[in-house]
Amino acid sequence: MNVAITGIGAVSAAGRNLEETLDTFQQGNRNVGAVSLFSTSLSYPVFEIGEIRGEAPDGEMRTITLALCAVEEALLDAGLGSDLPDFRVGVCLGTTVASQLNDMDFYRNYRSKEPVSIRSIDRYLKGNLAEAVGRAIKVRGPSVTVVNACSSGADAIGVALSWLRSGVCDIAIAGGADELSQVPLCGFGALGILSDSICAPFDRDRKGLNLGEGAGVLVLESEEVCRERGKAPLLYLSGYGSAADAYHLTAPRPDGSGLEAALRRAMFEANIHAQDVCFINAHGTATPDNDKIEGSVFRKIFGRDINFLSSKGFVGHTLGAAGGLEAVFTAGALREGWIPASAGFVHQDDEILLSPVREKTPITGRFAISTSLAFGGNNAAIVISRGPMNESGAQDRGSA
Amino acid sequence: MQSQEKKSLEEIRKELKELLVVNLALEDITPEEIEDDGALFEEGLGLDSLDAVEIVVLIQRNYGLEIIDEEQAREIFLSVNTLASWVHDNLGD
Amino acid sequence: MNVAGIGVVFAGGRGIGILEEALRAGWSPPSRGEVSSSSGKTMPVYSVEEKTIKDRAVLKNMRRADRFSKMAVLAAWDAVKDSRIAINQEKASLGIILATAFGAQVTAFRFLDEIIDYGDANVSPTLFSHSVHNAAASYVASALGNHGPTLTVTQFGFSFQQALILARAWIQEGRCENVLVGSVEECGAVMEFICRQKLEIAEDGRISPFEFSPSPLAVPGEGSVFLVLSGGDGPKRYCELRDVFLDHQSSDAAPDIRILDADGMSDDETCYQEIASQDVMIAGYSPLFGSMMTGSAFHCASAALMLMNQTRYACPVQDNPHGIRLCTSTEQKKLERIQCVKYSCLRERAVIELER
Repeated sequence: MNVAITGIGAVSAAGRNLEETLDTFQQGNRNVGAVSLFSTSLSYPVFEIGEIRGEAPDGEMRTITLALCAVEEALLDAGLGSDLPDFRVGVCLGTTVASQLNDMDFYRNYRSKEPVSIRSIDRYLKGNLAEAVGRAIKVRGPSVTVVNACSSGADAIGVALSWLRSGVCDIAIAGGADELSQVPLCGFGALGILSDSICAPFDRDRKGLNLGEGAGVLVLESEEVCRERGKAPLLYLSGYGSAADAYHLTAPRPDGSGLEAALRRAMFEANIHAQDVCFINAHGTATPDNDKIEGSVFRKIFGRDINFLSSKGFVGHTLGAAGGLEAVFTAGALREGWIPASAGFVHQDDEILLSPVREKTPITGRFAISTSLAFGGNNAAIVISRGPMNESGAQDRGSA
Repeated sequence: MQSQEKKSLEEIRKELKELLVVNLALEDITPEEIEDDGALFEEGLGLDSLDAVEIVVLIQRNYGLEIIDEEQAREIFLSVNTLASWVHDNLGD
Repeated sequence: MNVAGIGVVFAGGRGIGILEEALRAGWSPPSRGEVSSSSGKTMPVYSVEEKTIKDRAVLKNMRRADRFSKMAVLAAWDAVKDSRIAINQEKASLGIILATAFGAQVTAFRFLDEIIDYGDANVSPTLFSHSVHNAAASYVASALGNHGPTLTVTQFGFSFQQALILARAWIQEGRCENVLVGSVEECGAVMEFICRQKLEIAEDGRISPFEFSPSPLAVPGEGSVFLVLSGGDGPKRYCELRDVFLDHQSSDAAPDIRILDADGMSDDETCYQEIASQDVMIAGYSPLFGSMMTGSAFHCASAALMLMNQTRYACPVQDNPHGIRLCTSTEQKKLERIQCVKYSCLRERAVIELER
């Protein structure tokens, strides 16, 4: 069964919508700076969005506001609106920040036994990301928030694919969202993997990641629903693979076997071979470990000439949003026919022996992959294609 | 932070051993049983990369000393002795 | 899907055998926390004892892990052992889905303590990495040496039910042959405080599931349940997990027993009355393990036991002001079908249907 991508939406430091984002990619602008959203003694550069839109209703969590921005854009792109209630619509979104009661004011008051505002607790209890988005757009269907750390967004898309294939819903809204927050900033700083300069994914001199914030969302539909709606999709979600390292809580498996397994599963589902892949949007956090392992797995499976990039050079590491944003960027690139330079890369690392693309690069192939690796050892890979599988189940290779 | 009088190397060794056992939740070993020259990582105590960054924070928090990078850490973290010596050398008089 | 194995960690102890003993023995009082300065009272809590989560063999690489992760690993481990399914590292045929409402919140608040006490630059990376929701599932995968897909999901309404739906989708699409699905919740000082603010606490420690009150009484609980679910042709030790219905749907066939998730966690349980008043025997076992957002998992495990043993267990608390048809005695009985019914705070309903 083919699952179509009929709408995409994104908000990040690179732009409040996909059009702005693509413009930022073309210009090579990197909107990075000091934290301004909250006060912190840490001076790591971050990719903040700034004001999103007006005052959020009822003290809505920023992560939910970001998600709704991307969801609105994706639904508009899909031509879905007043007809949503006619369908069973699933909502599956990944996050890290929104799942925790990280309200520092609440906790300080609790600790010092001062009166605590129930409002913080209520905000949290109403703030499950998928539940809140489902309520806001008034849909009925399965609803799950994925909390798989840095692969949450990709895994949420994988869940939606499973739902659609098994007929649990007709349409799914899937991706991820995360706001910039003091808690992960402190945590990642303590882990020693934040860079005090702008991140340089895959570069020989990379020193770590920069945190960012954003939301990236896909609208996914079965082909049957597309036909019913008179929608002729261009893009398809063709495969998803997920595998656990089962190795360590924070360090990835050095041999990359988990990532390799996820990639091979995704390609198997899409019925493609390595030579069919025209580019990869890598996880590419700019930490020494991640980029080395990811690069070596790419070299092993795809060879040294594979086009790949990390978009984290433009948006930072957006944690739960990353997989969603990167799926959107991958879909957008297939649609537009180009990928941007891998921002921040200058010198090849001799331990990786691969270089991401150094400039805007046209792409003409039909299949692309987005990879995500997470703390806890989750590895995810998504295949997006231009054009569906043919009736026999094999990919309609058509003209490249 | 520490008292004004500089601690002895022996005191620092003892403190470090207690910090390691408590903060890294080491099982089946008391501070007294940790060998001064025993390897902290891989063989010996068998600490890993997460323990390494935890020790960086412990040193910062308890002695006000910052370990700048991984290279430096690798040299200092060989054993309790190398760690204690570095702390002792860098603590203000 | 078939239920091939079950693992349980709760206030009563560890193991499906211990849950069965608790179902037979009936209600016993929960433990009590310290006197709270804000309420002046002790809080009844169904706490998991420290001795329950000690296991040097299974938890051998988990010296830094918190209680949340330990409860998850022990329940998951036991479920896999109970199922007798072998973990195939090459084929990666076992998926893992962990559902939780609040995650490792005790550790998360300890991390906030560090930020407040030591400042942004001096916080523990170990605490941070254990404060994220997916640390427990990562430990489960490592303890089992399992490389299949591993997912942590969170929801306040129907986390466990959604996890079951996804498990079925994974098996149907061939992503894995078996899925280890479970729930974990932990109580702690902050959660107890929040419970006092948001819930009505049963000061005598007795949850009364059949009051169907507009302000029901709760007794917070903690614990973990994991089920190994196999495909239709796979091992079926306990029963078949026939379906999971959302949106007020349910099957046409009447069950032998309906187990109600009424435990005081939602602010109004009057919605249970209608379904309880139909001519189907009703049960509810939350007084054995406490009030939890993912308490459905415990009821699912109880239902599976009942179908395997062909035994219905007396409700531990039998206060019955509405005169519904209640299961009041433990006896062998032919049982074909059991439903586990939960209403969320928003009056949405989920039904898990299990069959012999």
